[in-house]
Amino acid sequence: MASERESEEISVPLPSSEDASLQATWGLGNQLFVYAADRRPAKDTNGEGSDMGHTQSYDILDLRWGQDMHGPTTRKLINESHSVFVMLQGQVTSLSGSALYNQLKEASRQYRSIAKACSLELQLLMSNTVDEGEREYYGNQVELLETMQIIWSLCEILFIDIAPGEMVLVQLLNWVRWHFSAGREMAQDVINDEIPEEHPAYWEAIFRLLLQGEIERVRKLLSLHSCSQTQPFTSVEELLKKMPQWGNLRTVSLAEFDLKWRHWREECMRRYEEGHFTAFAELERVVQVLCGDMLVFSELKDYCETWYHLLISRLLYQNPTVRPTDLAFHVQACMEEFQRAGHRMGHVDNILQAALEFDLHQVIKDSSTSLGDRSWWFGAHLTDILHHCGQIDSQKLPFGSNLREYLLLEYVAGLMSHHSLWQVGVDYLDHCPVFGKEHMKLYIENLPLDSERKANKLIHICEERDLLEQVQSICKIMGVRCSQDGRLGSALSWFLRSKDVPAATRLTEKFLQDYKENGNFSHLDLLDHMGPTMLLTQQLTFLGKYREFHRMYQEKDLKGAASLLLSMLTARAAPRHFWVTLLMDALPLLETPQVILGTSQTYELMHCLEELTQDLTRNTPTSTTPSRASSTPTPQSAGTGVTAAGSSQILSQRDLEKLKLLRLALCRNLSRSIVHEGTIVPL
Amino acid sequence: MFVAKSIAVDHKDLIHDVSYDFHGRRMATCSSDQTVKVWEQGDDGTWHCTASWKTHSGSVWRVTWAHPEFGQVLATCSFDRTAAVWEKEAGQNHWLKRTSLVDSRTSVTDVKFAPKHMGLQLATSSADGIIRIYEAVDVMNLSNWSLQHEFNCHMGCSCLTWNTSRVHPPLIAMGSDDPNPSGGPKVKLYEYSEVQRKWNKVEALSVVSDAVHDIQFAPNVGRSYHLLAVASKELYIFSLKPYRKDPASNPQGNKFEIRQAGMFDCHDSQVWRVSWNVIGTILVSSGADGCVRMWKANYLGNWKCISELKGDGTPGEGHAAVAQNNQPPGTLAANGSMGANNNSSSSNAIRGVQMPHLHRSYSHT
Repeated sequence: MASERESEEISVPLPSSEDASLQATWGLGNQLFVYAADRRPAKDTNGEGSDMGHTQSYDILDLRWGQDMHGPTTRKLINESHSVFVMLQGQVTSLSGSALYNQLKEASRQYRSIAKACSLELQLLMSNTVDEGEREYYGNQVELLETMQIIWSLCEILFIDIAPGEMVLVQLLNWVRWHFSAGREMAQDVINDEIPEEHPAYWEAIFRLLLQGEIERVRKLLSLHSCSQTQPFTSVEELLKKMPQWGNLRTVSLAEFDLKWRHWREECMRRYEEGHFTAFAELERVVQVLCGDMLVFSELKDYCETWYHLLISRLLYQNPTVRPTDLAFHVQACMEEFQRAGHRMGHVDNILQAALEFDLHQVIKDSSTSLGDRSWWFGAHLTDILHHCGQIDSQKLPFGSNLREYLLLEYVAGLMSHHSLWQVGVDYLDHCPVFGKEHMKLYIENLPLDSERKANKLIHICEERDLLEQVQSICKIMGVRCSQDGRLGSALSWFLRSKDVPAATRLTEKFLQDYKENGNFSHLDLLDHMGPTMLLTQQLTFLGKYREFHRMYQEKDLKGAASLLLSMLTARAAPRHFWVTLLMDALPLLETPQVILGTSQTYELMHCLEELTQDLTRNTPTSTTPSRASSTPTPQSAGTGVTAAGSSQILSQRDLEKLKLLRLALCRNLSRSIVHEGTIVPL
Repeated sequence: MFVAKSIAVDHKDLIHDVSYDFHGRRMATCSSDQTVKVWEQGDDGTWHCTASWKTHSGSVWRVTWAHPEFGQVLATCSFDRTAAVWEKEAGQNHWLKRTSLVDSRTSVTDVKFAPKHMGLQLATSSADGIIRIYEAVDVMNLSNWSLQHEFNCHMGCSCLTWNTSRVHPPLIAMGSDDPNPSGGPKVKLYEYSEVQRKWNKVEALSVVSDAVHDIQFAPNVGRSYHLLAVASKELYIFSLKPYRKDPASNPQGNKFEIRQAGMFDCHDSQVWRVSWNVIGTILVSSGADGCVRMWKANYLGNWKCISELKGDGTPGEGHAAVAQNNQPPGTLAANGSMGANNNSSSSNAIRGVQMPHLHRSYSHT
């Protein structure tokens, strides 16, 4: 049985254990930071910081793995299998019965062809490079992909695309033919030779083809022999021609086929025993194969290359109607055949053996760990299909359906370390019903927000999945970052998106402060298009309204501007420290040729002015707590509209002058409006 | 396939801690040379030191990042009996000390920010056994931290960790490096009671009687239990399953059903550090034997060592070891014990995990 995987041992270019011990911290994804530390814990050895005895400076090693997944070829593998996967998950929910079954078979074939395409591409890269190391690297990659295909196709035959009538050997023959093509290539060389029978590989080609059941091709090669018209050759030709082929006899039952085959084999044996072929030793061996002679298979085993090829070849001539469940009985003998010749069985052999023994979990377990960096690709996709085929029965096993999810999550873990493949990972997580969402949350928290575009993409992904907390967090991070960089407009729009009241309040204050200092607004387009979001905080509402006031004023809608200004003051919407500015804004409205503010409005303005000056005179002499001005308000107090800093503000001399001027203007306007309105009629 | 890149950190003394920010783009290192260095990863994947400054007047034990929602904020703790909070100045590569937390009368051994959902809080542990919880009064102004809670563990604290679960009450696990094995359990768990507004001891892991050097909760990924890794004489992995409120299921009134998910005597007497990956599926441990080991649970929840890193004895002095996927030949080589040699041509190269081909070019600086 397949053994548990041993842990791998890796040496890294750092001081060895004699000098120092290594320590490690996880990075994002498949990444570790490894560094040398003292052999003893820091706290015991080196209490005093002044102990600067160590002059050596240590390096940190940034160690990553699973990077094979990131090459351009593999990226194609990932992206293409991703679309197959997503489509299949859709079909699983919408289809059922044979329609679904057909789709599952189709998907399995698609995955295999994607792997094949990837392997071909790598072969091309391999043949184009001159670098010895690269060649070796590509070579290993190709081998791995080919192995995956061997295992996958076998699993497909045994567990997914199950042949009706239990005639499994036809498919297994195709499997062997597909993965072992040396015989056909050799035959081509032989045929192209001027005198084929003198080609050194003439008989080897024949045997290789025979062992794969390629009867037509064997006949073709035999017919090229100069003695092909002699009696022994025609006799073999006849036997080959008569060999029952399941493909041609689809209409017959397994029992009928078996009968036909037995008759045929009896005839082979009879002719062999009659010694028809003794003149041609090689030809005699051909007939021995047809007779299913044990010994001859041992002799020819090198043409099979592997024990599983030998297994299929032997069954073809000894027991062609073998039932799938009986395959396992023949495995051991074929393996021993190779073990006697000094071959050691490895991971792939164990996996294939487990498959033939219908131990699906062993297959998945071993192939998920021993096939290099693409192990999880293989395990996740194959298991997904097997799961939907009902081959992984949760009833039978304690861990049940979680095996599929476990493997998918492992696959996703590899994708998430990549700067763009994480998006593929997200789609896989959607199909992990138990832990998918929680994993997604953690990943999203750790995905670098390199750009606004990426942040927006992530937000979109979160919104689609109703991960509102994550949306908020992303907006907040972006907002904090923007405001750190001094981009206040962007920062405000991020905070508005996340409805972050304290942060938005803080920023609004900053905007108003800027206005007070510079007399103009930055980020006009943002302020003009806030819409209902401005209702988030009182400050922001005020800021929006104040900007509206400016617009009206510019558009010469003086009446509207005046009443807006007044309402901002009377509704106490404006922060107190901003009142001076607001009142001063009223000054030009009072000085216009026509009367804009009526008596009652003027009274109200006077009232506000009085309130402000009283406030100030109350505070100014008793402002024993100047520290309050510098202490920053807590978010709560900032949200109330009047900040601590604002109320204890001490007016400058210039402001006082201005207020005096305003008082004068108000008086003048009052008298003008009285006259204008005619409210007090002269006697 | 492992790829290694060496970063010449140039600390003048031992590095005590390396900490990643949440997005893996920045790294902070601290050392006995009393400095902290901040590193940023460029687009090409190389690390550049963007700031290096003296933080304390003693060895700096730990450095840790706050959640990026709070800006770029670091906390450090030191032998000089203080912990400090640092913030990057807007638009500058300059870090400002926002506060110095000076309540401890002994060396501050560990500092950890609370999970984000609890706001901006941090916990410190001291060599005299006191754990303190601080909270930023205003997240916009980090110069003002108030000491919210303080409790005595009655043995020297060496490390602490916050549980990250949002659905459970706040939970802190602490470890003690008190060398006396008969001095009682070296790992204790404290839970915050919203009602009493205080931290209460809820469990002590009596299995762990030897000095504890590091402790870490795994990120909670929706599991019904918490995973806690403890570095002591052995490496422990505990699973803590909160009992339901129902008293019948839990007659002793315990808070957790504690199971030892793994105990490994692997690092030759002492395990120094433990660290979980982002999703809490792989644990990395390091110890006195100079090895770094990675541990992973299979789908049945059995923990196994999946790889082991060893130094090859290369002195780590200012060289760059650059490795690329496609380049030969390897120094990072697995020992050749993997699988069998099968001479059959189709499959003989596929025996176990293909190990890396590394190319190292040395450029002396």
